[in-house]
Amino acid sequence: MYSVNAIFSKQLRDILKNRMVLPQFIIFPLVAFVFTEMVAKPSGGVIPNGMFVTMFAGIFAGMLVLTATAGMIAEDRERKSLRFLIMAGVKPYQYILGIGGVMTIISLAVSVVFGLIGGFAGADFVKFVAALMLGAVASMLLGATVGIVSKNQQAATAVALPLGMILGFTPMLALFNESVKNVFGIFYTMQVNTLTNDFSAGFARAALIILANVAVLAALFALAYNKKGLRG
Amino acid sequence: MIQMNNITKRFGAQTVLSGVTFEAKEGEIFGLLGPSGAGKTTIINILTNQLDADGGSHGIGVTPFETGLMLDEDGLFVRLSCLENLNIFADIYGIPRSKSMEALESVGLAKAAKKAVNTLSKGMRQRLALARAILHEPKVLFLDEPTSGLDPGTARGIHKLILGLRDRGATIFLTTHNMEEATELCDRVVMLDKGVIVEQGAPAEICERHNAVKTVPDLEAVFIEMTGGELECIA
Repeated sequence: MYSVNAIFSKQLRDILKNRMVLPQFIIFPLVAFVFTEMVAKPSGGVIPNGMFVTMFAGIFAGMLVLTATAGMIAEDRERKSLRFLIMAGVKPYQYILGIGGVMTIISLAVSVVFGLIGGFAGADFVKFVAALMLGAVASMLLGATVGIVSKNQQAATAVALPLGMILGFTPMLALFNESVKNVFGIFYTMQVNTLTNDFSAGFARAALIILANVAVLAALFALAYNKKGLRG
Repeated sequence: MIQMNNITKRFGAQTVLSGVTFEAKEGEIFGLLGPSGAGKTTIINILTNQLDADGGSHGIGVTPFETGLMLDEDGLFVRLSCLENLNIFADIYGIPRSKSMEALESVGLAKAAKKAVNTLSKGMRQRLALARAILHEPKVLFLDEPTSGLDPGTARGIHKLILGLRDRGATIFLTTHNMEEATELCDRVVMLDKGVIVEQGAPAEICERHNAVKTVPDLEAVFIEMTGGELECIA
């Protein structure tokens, strides 16, 4: 437990001092706020009030969480920091729990901010945050897998960024193309978008698809973890 | 205490260690000398269980928790301060955080405690890496070229610290290119060339065996004789 707390504390401090990553967690909700206040609300209902919030929240959960998680692990591997942690007695699963804990807290905080900007209340607010968090967990698993298999940060970014763009932007493309919506409906980001856009949509079906994605990504992560390990 | 017995290691078709056998005794500074690519870091990686040997046996006589490690790549968390870096490891080891400040004081970095690592000079980073290695007062300390690239003043400070750690009972396993450093610090050394041990013993004994004692024992002359270091550099 000492080790998980230590990794959690290290990663939280690190991310708060990371001028490349931290602003991204602020910019996405900020842009959603500006677009909602300056474009959606003055449109008098032509553009739904929550449209920009769900759009940017989806990109956050699908892309930013993925690239940030992959980058954190790849950086610790590249700088050999992970090797010193493992040598000091940190178990690989404790390291992953510490990193995952930080990303969960940050994702939760950003999801709550998105929910407040969107003006959701009561059960809708809870559903909105829950849907985003499910998406964030799936992205964390995928990001951790990319971080483990990548030799360095550059390699991790080269894989995580296009993956994140596909996952994060597909829901937006689906607004204009029915085929994209049908084909990519199995992606968790599409279902997160469905849930956050329409709370009357079948929550159980969408949540089931997201959970199936989480299960597949967890298996992928376990495979990478067993094959590549986290020796640093 | 630290033992290697007939260790062999291959990377693909290349044999990097062949029949390496030595023993470092408790409480001594044991030097591993060799040119670049001789297999020094591979030996440290095997002894610290970061790498598996293909043959032979090895042991360090203590638990991983009782070892400290300083490698050529420092692995520091660059955006965090010196103190934060050490506090993370104090938490992992389950020792009081007050030990972090003590370790910084011992390497002369107390005034830089709140400075971010990415603002430190190379010498300061080396000292911080050493502070992390000694934070939990390990019984065995592995130091991979601890003074490489440092100015003489900083190197001398690190030498004093290493001798002080030995006097407190720690066993120190040191790799270096610097023969003067090896002569000054090491109780015993082994010389490694192309993965094979070519000489071992106390620095003064080795120099005597090779008639390399002038006014002071000249370990460097023996090193060049045994490894062909100069010729390789020219080639």
